[in-house]
Amino acid sequence: MNIFKKIQPQTPRWKSSLALIITAAVLIEATSAIQYWFASNGIQKEVQHRAESELKVKSLEIQNVLTAVEVAVNNKAWWIEQQLAQPDTMWGITRKLLADNEIIVGSAIAFEPYYYPEKGRQYSPYSYKQGKTIESKQLGTEQYEYHEKEWYTAPLQSGHGHWSEPYYDEGGGEMMMSTYSIPIHDQTGKAVAIFTADVSLDWLSGVINAHHIYPSSYNLVISRKGQMMACPVESLVMRQTIQELTAKAEDTTVLHVNRQMMAGKSGQASVKDPKGKKNYVFYAPLDDGQTGWSMAVVCSDHEIYYGLRQVTFSLMLLMLAGLALMVFIIYRIARGARKLQDVNAEKERIGSELRIASNIQRGMLPKIFPPYPERNDVEIFGSLEPAKEVGGDLYDYFIRDEKLFFCIGDVSGKGVPASLVMAVTRSLFRTVAAHEAMPERIMASLNDAMAEMNETNMFVTLFVGVLDLPTGRLRYSNAGHDAPIIMASDVKLLPVEANIPVGVMTGWKFPTQETMIVPQNTIFLYTDGLTEAEDTNHNLFGEDRMLSVARNAQKENKQEPQAVIRQMTDAVHGFVGEAEQSDDLTMLAIQYTKPQLDVRLLRSITLTNNVEEVPQLAQFVEEVCEVVEFDPATTMSINLAIEEAVVNVMNYAYPKNKKGNICIEAQANDVRLKFTITDSGTPFDPTAKEEVDTTLKAEERPIGGLGIHLVRQLMDSINYERIDGKNILTLRKKLN
Amino acid sequence: MKTIITEQNGSYVAAFDGRIDTAASPAVEQDLKPMLEKNPKEIILDCTKLTYISSSGLRVFLSVLKNAKTWGGKVYLTGLNDDIRNIFSITGFINLFQFK
Repeated sequence: MNIFKKIQPQTPRWKSSLALIITAAVLIEATSAIQYWFASNGIQKEVQHRAESELKVKSLEIQNVLTAVEVAVNNKAWWIEQQLAQPDTMWGITRKLLADNEIIVGSAIAFEPYYYPEKGRQYSPYSYKQGKTIESKQLGTEQYEYHEKEWYTAPLQSGHGHWSEPYYDEGGGEMMMSTYSIPIHDQTGKAVAIFTADVSLDWLSGVINAHHIYPSSYNLVISRKGQMMACPVESLVMRQTIQELTAKAEDTTVLHVNRQMMAGKSGQASVKDPKGKKNYVFYAPLDDGQTGWSMAVVCSDHEIYYGLRQVTFSLMLLMLAGLALMVFIIYRIARGARKLQDVNAEKERIGSELRIASNIQRGMLPKIFPPYPERNDVEIFGSLEPAKEVGGDLYDYFIRDEKLFFCIGDVSGKGVPASLVMAVTRSLFRTVAAHEAMPERIMASLNDAMAEMNETNMFVTLFVGVLDLPTGRLRYSNAGHDAPIIMASDVKLLPVEANIPVGVMTGWKFPTQETMIVPQNTIFLYTDGLTEAEDTNHNLFGEDRMLSVARNAQKENKQEPQAVIRQMTDAVHGFVGEAEQSDDLTMLAIQYTKPQLDVRLLRSITLTNNVEEVPQLAQFVEEVCEVVEFDPATTMSINLAIEEAVVNVMNYAYPKNKKGNICIEAQANDVRLKFTITDSGTPFDPTAKEEVDTTLKAEERPIGGLGIHLVRQLMDSINYERIDGKNILTLRKKLN
Repeated sequence: MKTIITEQNGSYVAAFDGRIDTAASPAVEQDLKPMLEKNPKEIILDCTKLTYISSSGLRVFLSVLKNAKTWGGKVYLTGLNDDIRNIFSITGFINLFQFK
């Protein structure tokens, strides 16, 4: 049996759940990754857009200022060209420029050497703001030879406006400045002077860093030579070039960005700051095409993606939690399902094994009724209604040598163990009764065998009966079982001695009791499943109800076994009603139906225990056979059987050299011829001898046992009884 | 009951006449003794006139067979009527002997 077989821990169900979980995890993570990718892409575009518009806006703001300067200067340049003939008006022009433009803090008109011969080599009227007043002076001096300066040479060469590199005005306005200069042409178109406007760039930092696209992002502006013109750190402005600032940068991208910016290119890059943090740089030149300034917006990666990462991280956590929850739920469901499945399978298996056990149990019991259709001296009917749970009820019967051996029993407990003990009991009964005819000896053998192997302390209440069919003599022995009912003219319980069940103690005695069964009477046997059948209110069916059912059957002359059991079954079913059957309901009814026939022939002969008298016996048998008109062959076989039976008695019934009598009585009715061999020797049951094996080789054949074998083979029945100190052996042969 | 033993070329024929019942068996056994003492190669038990045999008679036959086997002699049965053959059959003796 594999009741305890373990379930494999990895069931396909769990595997599929695992696959489901993994798929879900992959899906969730993939979704999360895609979502992050799209979001970050979006954010990146957004950042780029914001940075570009920032660059554009700032650029426009700066350009507005610068263009205003350029326009103002260009307008004045026309006026200067008109006034070239009057050198002294130049002072006024510069002062007027300053007065009209707040942002312009200084202006000069520097002429070519000796343009006005009378004004010398460096005629250069120059006005500047000193506090709230405007001062004027000659710019070119011995120490300051302006013809070599960039602000002078660059526009002269290019022929159009030029913004100088920003510079710090030390000793003057103490501020960052840039100078816009344009050439002044005479009527011939020749450049004769450079007109300049010094512009304060103090406002630049304000404009540039007035507003940031991210709290920690910043903007910067550099000149075409890399001079820091505006940045968050005020102290760096005009003190360092971007090259100097980033000279130590490990990220070479920074240098590339620098070059790109100084070359007036626009673009974007991601760079690492000195702390190793990632930053994005968006850069573009100012659109005027003259200053060569470049602006950059720098934002930290952390800040840009902070929100997204925050959201993504939360989302991931949420998904992980969800996944964990899913895993947990699936695991619980799978485990629950598996447990349930296990339990169900286990139940199913046990249930089916119990059903099998129950079927085996019932299969062992005789179930073909009537069991002996060829016999007219006994009728038997049995029934076992099993309870839901297999029980240990049993009954059995068989006929051997004109004796009906029967038993009914109830094994203590229920279930498979009980049914196993029941099977053992029934098997022992068959084995022992095959060669024992006395109930006390059958019971004793059974008890000893059961008690010896009784490790589970299971007991059997058992009733064993041996009904001698020729005479109706019932010998029985009871081991704690309910007393059977004898349905005679008066219905009553068979008197049984109280005793312990079988299997309790080896060597225990179960005395034989004896009674005569009158033809047509019925023995009704049952287990406590009948008397202890309960109705829904837990009332017991009880002995009285049972007896009254039996009495009714008797009154109505319905004593046939099947009728009795049907009435009893109906009565108990009616009583129990809807209540569940708690125990096996087992019944066995035996009716003794021996017909009384007229005796046609009765002869007898008495011999001594001397085999020399066998010829006399042969003479007697032949005469009897002649009367009943047996043919010679039958006569010879009857002769042989009687001789063997009698010689057997002669040899064994009395001690050697002790004389004893053997009486042989022949009796015939219309149906059969019966020989009764009676002696008063020691108890000797020839039918208890084991059958000889007729297939053995000559060398292996034992000398004894042949005689009784021949008797069994040649006669229709052999029957032994010990009555009143006599051995009574009865042999029968049907008449033709 | 009579038992007649004849010898022909070292092979013996024991012919039984009458009934071998329990009472007669000891005499038959005695009658066969001289023949067995000669350890014959072949023994034919002639049952043509045998009308009856009991288990004690069968035991005598079995004894002859067991004896002959000790010196490698052969034992044959012959002339059994149906009733006697039936007895041999019932007891399984029919398988022990060879028939001629």
